[in-house]
Amino acid sequence: MSPSRLATRAGIYAFLGLFAFLSVFPFLWMIVGMTNRTGDIILGRFTLGDAFLENARNFFEQADAPLVFWNSAKIAILGTIATLAVSSIAGYGFEIFRSPARERIYGVLLLTIMIPFAVLMIPLFVIMGKLGLINTHIAVILPTVASGFVVFYFRQATKAFPSELRDAARVDGLKEWQIFLYIYVPTMRSTYAAAFVIVFMTAWNNYLWPLIVLQTNDKKTITLAISSLASAYYPDYGVVMVGALVATLPTLFVFFIMQRQFVQGMLGSVK
Amino acid sequence: MQSRDRIRLKSALGAAAFGAALFAAGLAQAKTITVWCWDPNFNVAIMKEAGARYTKAHPDVTIEIVDFSKPDVEQKLQAGLASGVAEALPDIVLIEDYGAQKYLQSFPGSFAPLSGTVDYSGFAPYKVELMTLDGEVYGMPFDSGVTGLFYRKDYIEAAGYTAADMQNLTWDKFIEIGKAVEAKTGKKMLGYDTSDAGLTRIIMQSAGQWYFDKEGGLAIEGNAALKAALDVQKKIQEAGIYKPATGWNDWVAKFTSGDVAAVVTGVWITGTIKAQAEQSGKWGVAPIPTVDVPGAVAASNLGGSSWYVLASSDVKDEAIDLLDTVYAKDVDFYQTILQDRGAVGSLLAARTGAAYDTPDAFFGGEKIWQSFSKWLGEIPAVNYGIFTNEVDAAVAVQLPKLGKGESVDAAIEAIAAQAKVQVQ
Repeated sequence: MSPSRLATRAGIYAFLGLFAFLSVFPFLWMIVGMTNRTGDIILGRFTLGDAFLENARNFFEQADAPLVFWNSAKIAILGTIATLAVSSIAGYGFEIFRSPARERIYGVLLLTIMIPFAVLMIPLFVIMGKLGLINTHIAVILPTVASGFVVFYFRQATKAFPSELRDAARVDGLKEWQIFLYIYVPTMRSTYAAAFVIVFMTAWNNYLWPLIVLQTNDKKTITLAISSLASAYYPDYGVVMVGALVATLPTLFVFFIMQRQFVQGMLGSVK
Repeated sequence: MQSRDRIRLKSALGAAAFGAALFAAGLAQAKTITVWCWDPNFNVAIMKEAGARYTKAHPDVTIEIVDFSKPDVEQKLQAGLASGVAEALPDIVLIEDYGAQKYLQSFPGSFAPLSGTVDYSGFAPYKVELMTLDGEVYGMPFDSGVTGLFYRKDYIEAAGYTAADMQNLTWDKFIEIGKAVEAKTGKKMLGYDTSDAGLTRIIMQSAGQWYFDKEGGLAIEGNAALKAALDVQKKIQEAGIYKPATGWNDWVAKFTSGDVAAVVTGVWITGTIKAQAEQSGKWGVAPIPTVDVPGAVAASNLGGSSWYVLASSDVKDEAIDLLDTVYAKDVDFYQTILQDRGAVGSLLAARTGAAYDTPDAFFGGEKIWQSFSKWLGEIPAVNYGIFTNEVDAAVAVQLPKLGKGESVDAAIEAIAAQAKVQVQ
């Protein structure tokens, strides 16, 4: 390798290394912080300590960990499945079926992505109040089900879905819903996997809306529980770090099992 | 077709509303008082104690405490009040004192006045003032941020001063002592964060004024107390008697590590200071230094919060009775929360109890709780208004400039200009 190419290579690695460090550092800090006492964390100690068991015990004492974890998991999994079901049908429909108003309706749908949630919050809250859904997990899930972004994502992916497949299925006498269910869904498996990862992460980390709509301790999600630990007058940061780890694990887990499909899905399901 | 859909939707909504009404009726029978507050080790634990005391005499009532973080409680309260969905609100909510008027004035009629029930003459007057609107008093005064001057006796003595010298200080004298401490011990006098307006608020209230006048109008220009507060901080910065701190945790670390000789802040810091067991016997407590403004005293406040009952509550009477029975009458309750949680309440009679009369070995056997309780009654009442946080931000911008040669008058002018834009 010539010296100039070597220098370029080194520059690229230095650049990537820097950003890798920036992304990994919070995780390192979390892991190290978990094993230290609050006093040491504040003083910036960056070596592993011996307080992990103490912190973990305090976390499970102070937060009803199994309950909030279960609440978060329930909301994230049901919410993700519902979102994928509804939004993928919509994305498929927008691409496959032609109508004069199609692009205009689609444009309006895309506009909804640009409206910040804070604007929708109060009206949505009033609706949930009228429906009697305040303080239910359904109220957390419902507003996310029709997601402009996921519809967009599926429509883009559907562009690569060969019309020959659909025509062949029609000739064989399949109804439209059968084509979607038996031909489209299996073909687009990796698109679904990628969308699953994205939607699951969003649902799991969702904070503002659950905060507003959930009212009692037994409905709280894990993000809410950690937030209240972290904002005490004298927060125990060691305990907060344990909570942060517990809250991070599921998204990591989901990502790692679906990593291969995720990358494929991003590149397009149909080759 | 369209109209049939509409009817169907209407009846669905009706059924849902009916269900919600039934649900609410069920709750009313069980008499559950729902409380929102934010610190599991402090106000949550204290409300649990209050609830335990109350339900002993009223077994038909249960208390449900829901803790969210403080900004979260504020956000939820805001959403609940703004949407008008009553079942979304608790029966009792904890509100930080600086924000009380914002809620009382922005949502008139949403909070239940307690003036007819509660005898407010037993509380620190400044606490009652901040929750008064148009002659009605809302809320139950809770924890106080009565301020004190905590100082290291060993450093002060090494500089040639005694505990007696620390009483009746002016800020000028305080700075003079600070210079002597640095010359003799190499330690700085204060940890000081120039991006925090806390010291400004302490000094300003000790001189009986705030960013707002009694009517709630902006009072930045011509405010002698604010001018004095900025003047003191300019002198502190120019004398260099402080260790710069960045943020809360860093500020705390300055005195827990023994790097500085004094702390001027709210009584709630006592627990943090006492957590350093190896410093036992080395600390003293004195009244805060005074400024030369007519009416200025050696007592002030930083922070604090109070309980409010929502007018929409279906157990309003029980909620008010809970607060009145425990927080306005139970002196023994105040001993328990002081001992267990280090909480200084706002009921002046609390000082007659045993816990308030106990000498504290950590402070060389001083009866510090008696002192704080005495200062509590002396804190000047001011109007915290509805834009304290906004003006605080304007002050924080100017503080670092004071040490770099900006005049106090120029700072006040800049604060007034920024505040006017934000307050509108």
